[in-house]
Amino acid sequence: MTQRNRRDFLRDLGLGAATLPFVLNLPSLGFANQSKRKQRLVVMFSPNGVVTKNFWPDETGADFKLKESVSPLEAFKKQSLFLHGVCDKVRGDGDAHMRGIGCLLTGTELFPGNIQGGSDTPAGWSKGNSIDQEIKSHLQADPATKTRFGSLEFGVMVPERADTWTRMVYSGPNKPIAPIDDPYQMFKKLYGRAKDNQVLASVMDDLNADLKKVADKVSGEDRKLLDEHATFVREMEQELKADKGMAAGHKVPEIEPGVRHDNDNIPKISKMQIDLMVNSFVSDASRIATLQYTNSVGMARMKWLGITEGHHELSHEPDKEEKAQEKLTKINKWFCEQLAYLAKRLSETPEPGGTGSLLDNTLIVWTNELGKGNSHTLNDIPFLLVGGGLDFKMGRSLKYKQVAHNRLLMSLAHGFGHRITKFGSPNYCGDGPLADLT
Amino acid sequence: MRRLNFVFVLLIGGVANHCHGATGEQIYTTQCAFCHGKAGEGSKKYPKPLIGDKSSPQLALQIQKTMPKEDPGSLSKEDSLAVASYAFDKFYSVAARERNNPVRVELARLTVSQYRNAVADMIGHFRGNATWWDKNRGLKGEYFKERNPGKRLIERTDPEVKFDFGVNAPAEKDFDAKEFSIRWTGSVLIPETGEYTFIVKSNQSVRLFVNDNKNPIADGYVRSGNDNEYKGTVYLLGGRVYPIRLDFSKALQGVKDKNPKPLPAFVTLLWQQPNGTAETIPSRQLSPQWSPETYVVTTKFPPDDRSYGWERGTTVSKAWDQATTDSALDAADYVSLRINELAKTNEKDDKRAEKIKTFIRQMAKLAFRKPVTDDLEKVYVTRPMESNPDLQAAVKRAMLMILKSPRFLYREPSGGEPDQYDVAARMAFAMWDSIPNQELLDLAAAGKLKTPEEVKKHLNDKMIWDTRAKTRLLGFLHHWLKTDHGRDAVKDAKRFPGFDAAIVGDLRTSLDLTLDDVVWSDKSDFRQLLISEETFLNGRLAKYYGVDLPADASFAKTAFEPGKRTGVLTHPYLMTTLAYSAETSPIHRGVFLAKGILGTGLKPPQEAFTPIPAELHPNLTTRQRVELQTKGANCQSCHLVINPLGFALENFDAVGRYRLKDNNKEIDPTGTYLTRSGETKTFKGAGELAKFLAGSPDVHTAFAEQMFHHLVQQSVRAYGSTRTTELRDTFTKSGFHVRQLAVEIVAGSALAASSKTVRK
Repeated sequence: MTQRNRRDFLRDLGLGAATLPFVLNLPSLGFANQSKRKQRLVVMFSPNGVVTKNFWPDETGADFKLKESVSPLEAFKKQSLFLHGVCDKVRGDGDAHMRGIGCLLTGTELFPGNIQGGSDTPAGWSKGNSIDQEIKSHLQADPATKTRFGSLEFGVMVPERADTWTRMVYSGPNKPIAPIDDPYQMFKKLYGRAKDNQVLASVMDDLNADLKKVADKVSGEDRKLLDEHATFVREMEQELKADKGMAAGHKVPEIEPGVRHDNDNIPKISKMQIDLMVNSFVSDASRIATLQYTNSVGMARMKWLGITEGHHELSHEPDKEEKAQEKLTKINKWFCEQLAYLAKRLSETPEPGGTGSLLDNTLIVWTNELGKGNSHTLNDIPFLLVGGGLDFKMGRSLKYKQVAHNRLLMSLAHGFGHRITKFGSPNYCGDGPLADLT
Repeated sequence: MRRLNFVFVLLIGGVANHCHGATGEQIYTTQCAFCHGKAGEGSKKYPKPLIGDKSSPQLALQIQKTMPKEDPGSLSKEDSLAVASYAFDKFYSVAARERNNPVRVELARLTVSQYRNAVADMIGHFRGNATWWDKNRGLKGEYFKERNPGKRLIERTDPEVKFDFGVNAPAEKDFDAKEFSIRWTGSVLIPETGEYTFIVKSNQSVRLFVNDNKNPIADGYVRSGNDNEYKGTVYLLGGRVYPIRLDFSKALQGVKDKNPKPLPAFVTLLWQQPNGTAETIPSRQLSPQWSPETYVVTTKFPPDDRSYGWERGTTVSKAWDQATTDSALDAADYVSLRINELAKTNEKDDKRAEKIKTFIRQMAKLAFRKPVTDDLEKVYVTRPMESNPDLQAAVKRAMLMILKSPRFLYREPSGGEPDQYDVAARMAFAMWDSIPNQELLDLAAAGKLKTPEEVKKHLNDKMIWDTRAKTRLLGFLHHWLKTDHGRDAVKDAKRFPGFDAAIVGDLRTSLDLTLDDVVWSDKSDFRQLLISEETFLNGRLAKYYGVDLPADASFAKTAFEPGKRTGVLTHPYLMTTLAYSAETSPIHRGVFLAKGILGTGLKPPQEAFTPIPAELHPNLTTRQRVELQTKGANCQSCHLVINPLGFALENFDAVGRYRLKDNNKEIDPTGTYLTRSGETKTFKGAGELAKFLAGSPDVHTAFAEQMFHHLVQQSVRAYGSTRTTELRDTFTKSGFHVRQLAVEIVAGSALAASSKTVRK
């Protein structure tokens, strides 16, 4: 038999009950991966482009004003960096929405395929891996930066269908990775074993008592087998106790039960996912995370903002439709609030075993599959960066002249010391990483 | 498992029961017994019993060098051998001790297979049974006009999914050749436990679901680049049916294509069974009837003890305990996440808590195979329910308790005399390798499992027709034929071109179908297994073995070289596995016949020999080479029995093809056997051998005893020293009815009293 499951995997890693501290990254134990400054990357995705006039600062340089869509970032203005003029120049099969999300982090074309968009030729999956996975592999290859998961892919209300519009992250050509948009599933992935051990410990007394009752009734010869069984149970009990002692201080977070996978719960799910992400960073379960809101062409109905139309249909309205512009601005502002909440949580959390806050060591990249919804342009893709993770010079508004986004993707890798000379389609990597970020 | 093809083991020493001399006994009595005791039990001065794990010759050497204490070296080599052989057989060896010790029905935990089946059936109880098999074959095919299911134009049964539509529509009707979709649904019958890979080949959008109606096992909805093959692997339990669904859509997906082009379309649904090669899923494994999902435990367990030749749950280990914990947590998660579906309730249900409580109580009853007493109710139902206001968490806790309970993990853990529920559980474990179902529990509650007649009637009318019983009996026959583990059947490619993995897979299928055909016929006549001249063959096997069938013929019962070939002992699968890669092995075949079929006790192997390579004696036949190598006197005591049995099958080469010549010389297929009653039987070739075996009481006894051990998993001697003989007699009287023998065995052991110790 070769079937394996999560538990085998944990055991193979030596992550049984007694070694939980490793999983939870207890700083006191001084593991190898704690000696260097930890660096993290979060890519946050929201769909359907932005209302450009309410998004991009008019000014360049350090002195700029935040427009309405990005006003929630006021508190983090000094840690923010606007990159205007970065373009997704990748062409080939697929419509703009498909290429928009499929090439966003991969920087390369889609394979020909059978998924037909609203225009252009049909396409399949991306031809290459995405930059987050590229950096993950780089970090996982080095014991000093290796973490339990390497990367975590969060989602919020991603439709239950796997196609070009719903996948942003790729581990390789034709290998899309599905984001986990169920906080309970993510919780289980992160804390399943620890939570299980709690439940297990709580039933031990009752089980022991019943085992003894049963053993008292069988013949002496047969009792040997049950006695032997009882010793294993006792050993497990001791392991669980040891485990409990060592894990103290790294509590498994409580999450609200019973939040259903439902459009109206988007705000709740978003908060739960962000909290789980921050927790995963505290325990150093991963240093790369993506957070994908809905999908390319996302249809969220933000009723909690008083907006009943779907996000995508609104995004098709022309610029002159003031009401639609207003709603879209509100929608993007809501996304920005999520970004601000993430930044806030990170900034309030001290770096375990290090200096400063988590935000000082994390770079958040907020992006989108389109520059603007009604034109479907892949020029001026929103790239709004927050946090000090890659030592970029923050607190600025930069305007580029139509540079290929592959160069920004390369900059992200370089920020981690992963000095690649090209990423994705080599046609767009010409001048290397963007020069004036650091 | 022993590898057969490289080294074979010569069995030296004697045939048990034949080979202790009076001299050995005399020497022991006069020179050894004073200190070592009459039966090796020791004496006051030398209390250590005379037992150990040396071989008889090794023991002899030690005796010759060291005994008797006052005059070591005074015994001759022959005397030492004689006295060692006597002590070895009487009390020294493991086998002798096992024989001398009282045998009892031992407390056992569930075997791994029972554990997996039990968990599947506990959860399955709330969804409906998935162990049926009706007469309809194939899958239900629904053909729709558009790219998504909706406007249905055809509903029919397709025997298998293997279509090449070209650029055409699937049928005349109102189809548009450029856009249509098909959904195939039904069930797949899984023959044996293991990993199955399901494969869809198509140049259109396809999605396959197996035992999971939500997450596709193979997802080709998005076509990307040149991929035309999608697959996934899943671990499934044998003897059960699982839901399967294949969605096929010819069209571009996403935004609807307004101007589709005429493109070709094909779709094939294949699988690869454990140890098999990829093949279209045959019609005989498919049913158009839908079945519920089955929960399958995938936790890796340490293997069960098989040292007695059958699986027993008589040892526990830390790894086993850990596996039961891991598995319990997984199952508890699964159940708690689906509690609304399983307990037939929902979040808004006023009676949700009550329904969940009933659910847990029923789960405990199924797991413990007994009604839940008040004491147990407190521990396993009430306390978990009160532990957590979140009912889902309470269910998880309760499931964990139940699955870790000794009342679930052990067979009859409370000892004492068996009650009606114990009878029900014994029947279910023996017949299904699983827990009793509701029907059995109801019979137990009504006290209707008291007499052998009542028990046999339920076994005959109901239980034996379950797919789990079918798999259990087939599993036993493989055990009997020593084909229960995948064997190395790789052959010399120069000698046997074309004998590839696909042929081996087909042979295995052919054997299964042939065995099933006999066992599930009305007469279920054991003798037909040995003398029937019909075998199931398909086109590929027919071609290789020179039988006239169309090349693409699927498996059908075929007269296979009548007059030359008889019964499963000459089945090419057996002949192939009991052979080297280029030459036959009369010794392997002989040992198999002597030990497995005739039940003769051969002494354990003591030295390994490499067979004489054929090239060393270019003029000898295999028979002659074997005779040459085993002609020594100490070889002959066993090979006298082994060789002449194996020689009778020399007409079948290393891939089981019939032949008249070996190494360009006429084959001499004559053989002999000295029966337990002292009669020498002579036979020429496989036909006469098969006829002798089919009528041999030794063979019937061996068959009955092995079936008992396989089904009951306790030593037959624990049920009385005459149990084997009784079973053989009933077997004979029934016209050697295989299914009835199984019913006799199960009924007898189910009703046996718990007087657990029977001294021989």
